[in-house]
Amino acid sequence: MATTACFIIVSRNDIPIYEAEVGSATKREDAAQLHQFILHAALDIVQDLAWTTSAMFLKAIDRFNDLVVSVYVTAGHTRLMLLHDSRNDDGIKSFFQEVHELYIKILLNPLYLPGSRITSSQFDTKVRALARKYL
Amino acid sequence: MDPANTPLGKMLLDEITPVVMVLSTPLVEEASLKNHLSFVQMLSPFCSFNNIDVPVRTASDQPYRLQKFKLRLFSASDIRQPNLEVAKERLKHFISQAGDKDDMFSDPPQISNLLASSESEIQPSWFQFFNKELVRTVSFSEHEAFDHPVACLLVVSSKDEQPINRFIDLFNTDKLPSLLNDGAMDPKILKHYLLVHDNQDGSPEKAAKILTEMKSTFGSNECQLLCINSSHDGPVERQDNPWAPYESDVSPSQCVGCFLNIDDSNEIKDLMQDLSSKHVIPYMEQKIRFLNQQVSATRKGFRNQIKNLWWRKGKEDAVDSPDGPMYTFSSIESQIRVLGDYAFMLRDYELALSNYRLISTDYKLDKAWKRYAGVQEMMGLTFFMLDQSRKEAEYCMENAFNTYLKIGSLSQQNATRCGLWWVEMLKTRDQYKEAAVVYFRLCSEEPLHSAVFLEQASYCYLLSKPPMLRKFGFHLVLSGDRYKKCDQIKHAIRTYRTSVSVFEGIMWGHIKDNVHFRIGQWYGILGMDDLAVKHMLEVLACSHQPKTTQELFLRDFLQIVQKTGKTFEVLKLQLPQVNISSLKVVFEDHRTYASPAAATVRESLWQSLEEDIIPPLSNIRTNWLDLQSNSKKYKESNVCVAGEAVKVDIEFKNPLQIPISISGVSLICELSAGSDDASSSTVELQNDDDFKNLITNRDMSSDNVSFTLSEVDVLLGGAETTVVQLTVTPKVEGVLQITGVRWKLSSSVVGFHNFESNHMKKKNAKGRRKSKYSRSDNLKFIVIMSLPKLEGFIHSVPEKLYAGDLQRLVLELRNQSEFAVKNLKMKVSHPRFLNIGNQKNLNSEFPACLERKTSSDPSCVGDSSSSLSQNVFLFPEDTLIQEGTPLLWPVWLWAAIPGDINLYITVYYEMADISSGMRFRTLRMHYNLQVVPSLDLSFQISPSPSRLHEFLVRMDVVNKTSSESFQVHQLSSVGHQWEISLLQPVHTIFPSQSLMAGQSLSCFFMLKSSRKSLTSKDKISTLSPVLGSDVGLGPEDSNQPLFDVSSSPLADFHHYERLHQEMSPQGDPNAVDFVLISRLLTSGDSETPHLFSHHACHCSTSNASPISWQVDGPQTLYHDLSASLCEINFRMIIYNSSDAVASVHVKTFDSVNTGGHLSEGTSSPSGNQSGWHWHDASVEKDIKVTSDVIGARVRKSLSLESVTPFVWSGTSSTSIQIQPMSKTEIPLQICVFSAGIYDLSNYVLQWNLLSSEGPESLEGTRQSSGTCQGYPYYLSVLQSS
Repeated sequence: MATTACFIIVSRNDIPIYEAEVGSATKREDAAQLHQFILHAALDIVQDLAWTTSAMFLKAIDRFNDLVVSVYVTAGHTRLMLLHDSRNDDGIKSFFQEVHELYIKILLNPLYLPGSRITSSQFDTKVRALARKYL
Repeated sequence: MDPANTPLGKMLLDEITPVVMVLSTPLVEEASLKNHLSFVQMLSPFCSFNNIDVPVRTASDQPYRLQKFKLRLFSASDIRQPNLEVAKERLKHFISQAGDKDDMFSDPPQISNLLASSESEIQPSWFQFFNKELVRTVSFSEHEAFDHPVACLLVVSSKDEQPINRFIDLFNTDKLPSLLNDGAMDPKILKHYLLVHDNQDGSPEKAAKILTEMKSTFGSNECQLLCINSSHDGPVERQDNPWAPYESDVSPSQCVGCFLNIDDSNEIKDLMQDLSSKHVIPYMEQKIRFLNQQVSATRKGFRNQIKNLWWRKGKEDAVDSPDGPMYTFSSIESQIRVLGDYAFMLRDYELALSNYRLISTDYKLDKAWKRYAGVQEMMGLTFFMLDQSRKEAEYCMENAFNTYLKIGSLSQQNATRCGLWWVEMLKTRDQYKEAAVVYFRLCSEEPLHSAVFLEQASYCYLLSKPPMLRKFGFHLVLSGDRYKKCDQIKHAIRTYRTSVSVFEGIMWGHIKDNVHFRIGQWYGILGMDDLAVKHMLEVLACSHQPKTTQELFLRDFLQIVQKTGKTFEVLKLQLPQVNISSLKVVFEDHRTYASPAAATVRESLWQSLEEDIIPPLSNIRTNWLDLQSNSKKYKESNVCVAGEAVKVDIEFKNPLQIPISISGVSLICELSAGSDDASSSTVELQNDDDFKNLITNRDMSSDNVSFTLSEVDVLLGGAETTVVQLTVTPKVEGVLQITGVRWKLSSSVVGFHNFESNHMKKKNAKGRRKSKYSRSDNLKFIVIMSLPKLEGFIHSVPEKLYAGDLQRLVLELRNQSEFAVKNLKMKVSHPRFLNIGNQKNLNSEFPACLERKTSSDPSCVGDSSSSLSQNVFLFPEDTLIQEGTPLLWPVWLWAAIPGDINLYITVYYEMADISSGMRFRTLRMHYNLQVVPSLDLSFQISPSPSRLHEFLVRMDVVNKTSSESFQVHQLSSVGHQWEISLLQPVHTIFPSQSLMAGQSLSCFFMLKSSRKSLTSKDKISTLSPVLGSDVGLGPEDSNQPLFDVSSSPLADFHHYERLHQEMSPQGDPNAVDFVLISRLLTSGDSETPHLFSHHACHCSTSNASPISWQVDGPQTLYHDLSASLCEINFRMIIYNSSDAVASVHVKTFDSVNTGGHLSEGTSSPSGNQSGWHWHDASVEKDIKVTSDVIGARVRKSLSLESVTPFVWSGTSSTSIQIQPMSKTEIPLQICVFSAGIYDLSNYVLQWNLLSSEGPESLEGTRQSSGTCQGYPYYLSVLQSS
């Protein structure tokens, strides 16, 4: 089954620092911008929800037609957002947790300036591998 | 808050009111049309009452009073379900109209303004109207009773024939609405009879007569007379026309209600009030009470409920049609619904709610989903009007909405209406976020309606607390896309423009690009190209987009630009990007550059090179005041010369993956001619507007003649970075300011970049003035009068050459100006590589000019050496370079060592014309050479054991090239004290004459020191002009001349090579220099022969010990040994080659001993020499044997026997002191007793250097004492016959 999934990491300043289309569906031309729009709009919801719970994983918080936005907020208020059309809460949670670990490893790099774009190709490969595993 | 006062409450009180059906004759309409109104329209304004104050008693016994009331009048033909398509068309037309009213040019609203303003200000006003229209599209549905007519107004004109019959005909015709005919509602409704009399047709007497007739027929209460058009004297002017809403339907010249005077309107008002209060309301009360009784009888009570349930169950297998089972007006379900609706209309909400509840379960059981949904909807509204149980209200609305949607597309409109009411309900309670969600759910297949709903949803997000701006923007964009689908471009632009304020400055690239691109595209469609271009520019530098998108953006952009047909001028065009930090300015004041490469060399390098030749700064500081006033002008600005180009290097970067072409790249400059005051003429560019003005001014004015600009066309490939060199050449004196750069993208868009507006680090060739001055000063030049400028280059400088290659090159200096230059000086950074030749060399043949001449020219040598000493070459005093007569001067290039060599040459010259602004200038030249290894040369020198001042030289030559062959031509020793000669003929050591690639060659030479006198003054002469001796190594048969290594330029190069290779500060007097000259063997190539010279300097001849000696004496002696013993005298010549006094102690001893014995033996006196040995017979036999064997035998015999057969006579131990560099002689004598061959090596020399400076200084360099074993010296003594 072809799935759509768009993963994005948004820094605390609402700047996307990592973007990846991890779904298996064939890419539509305007998919990238639609996904950005949906995820960007979902930030409004995250803003409200993030302070109501102590859990990092906020579950599915927003939806657009059949696309669901799941969000994971780290302690530093970096938001890992996944736009997906499959319902697999456990998988998504594991995915987020592992990506969070990867992200922390990126942060530990003294040459990485927090809030700047993540350009590490190794990070990219690992995220995509995790996406294949869990989503 | 009273629910009735909320927007939804008002809407409900407007919309859910009793309907009065109007049946009128054509003559009635005709009469009312005189006022440009239909009859219904004429009555309608008087149908709503704000203060009717009617007592109402419904099911309960407690009466209450109604204050507000409204009747809805519809003519019979309108009482039917509106046509959906027509309604849609009307809405579309309406939306288009609303779109046209929009102002496309105003600035988009700022987000802060939006947040500050209230709901009604933000939203377009036509939303309300749109919603109302949508609600009305589903009126007169049979499943809802509130749209069913409550009463019927039958209207007949007084002009009608037989008015009574007309009344009867009106109701009996088949024209009645289907609602009444198909049994959905009770056809027996309240009838009211109205006779209309047009006062223009005559007096109302006739009408009064008809009225009485009517009253007798239909009953007096039900009949009324209405007189209209009473205005006799022309049209009536009114302050507030009640018919104003209908005005839009007629042309403005016609006045609506022009014949209706104040009496008429009062009469209509009274009529309507009478109708509602005396007829409609009492009728409804009565009906409610009747129905309530019915319902109570059949459905209330436990028994009835059980019965009902049982009965419903039996019907379960009924057909499941979307509308559910058909209910006629007489069915109890319909009656309950009517009861509920009537109660709702009379505001008895409790009663209405209880009935709705009752019926909803029934409908649900019957699966009459549409009716069920309708009842749920009404329940929700009733809850709302009761202002209790919000949750239940919402639940009911949602339930209704979902049920409508479930039924299918037929009920879409109902769903829409339900949703709109739901939204209003949520909005009333400030639940904007939920309202937005409902709006979003309202979106259906109809894109236009969806667009409007999405736009309304977006405003809900904006109004929610806290405002959800991102959602606001997103829904605006969604809405815009749908507007675009319906060709409502203006609406689309409006929504997108509003969203720009949200998305401004965010880092989400796709969003930003999409918004700007779409707006640009749509403006382009509308033909508003300026705005289109403005938005398109925002997306041009979209490096994060895929290639196809970039192509699309660029193509669309260029299309729009081309459509306009004019060239746009864009201040901050991002395509291509200008890398300001790469800005580099090269200009020439007194420093001129022969090539661009020379300009890139560090200024400090040039400065150190020019140190000696540039005169000190002209302005000598007399006092600080002088200094301030005088030098300020030239110090603050850079100076350039009129007619000479100022070059600016700037980097352009293409951020896209697709190639772009830029053309006409040029500088923007300003030259204020003839002004001496630099500061006043400079335009300070405060902002970009000024800059733009400057650009436009520059384009228009024709004073471009004061300078010329270069134009460059570049094609930038994907993600390519190119450095473009631009030049500006001022033509007149003044102040030149470089302000920016301009270019043309795809020959349609002109981009500008202002250098001033950005932070810029100017990397100037002028290193010492860096941060001291502002940027504008750095780009400001004082243009001075044109000056002579030398152009110089060296002809055909090879880029790659082999080490040792010696070439003659020609330096050419040209002067383009009419003024001459003089006093030329020249300096080369590496005299080891490049040497300035002599004018005489220019015309002579190469390499013949290097060949040894019969008589050397001492003057030439002397000249060169004098100039060499200061490293600056002075051209002859009378050298004057004028226009058209270039100066040619030979220079010698010699590749000394392998590697990358940067040669810097600077030429200093002075202006012949003193009055010019500059006294002198320098020309800087730079050449880069790559030198690859060719021949590797090494020498080993060992002193000859037998001869003093003779050495054996072993030369090893290895050809390190990969392909070239060399022919060794000549080996020269430098210095007149050395003589070199071949040990063997050339052909034996070097048969093939050529040294192939990789081949190595060893050969031996004999070197002889011809120094006779060893006085100290000779030391000076080692540096004097070299005169060496040469050995030709070429083919024997050819008598090729030898090259003179002692004359220029070989001697000069040798001089520098010596300096370079020198190890100790003092020259070693015993060292010898060799020069190997070879040729490149070129196969059949007739070009000028390549000459190679390899210099090996300071090859030390000295041994480990500074003492050398030679034993001189007879080799063979005939002596009659029988007669006497043979006494032989020898001389030992000892030479001290060190520079210290040496004390030498010569010891002879007769037995060959080990070192240990030897040291003992130093103190042994000569008297110990006892036990002579007679060595006879064997020697005589041995003589016939070859010399080799003799040596071996002798040595053998010596080692075997401990006593030699001869004896040292004379002094056995001599001590002498030898002065440095001098030799001395001591006599030696032996006695031989028999014939034989004797080895006279049993002596030692102990030497000790007596240093004048003390032992410490010598320690590091060489031994201060030592012992030398004697050399073998063979003496043959033969018996003389």
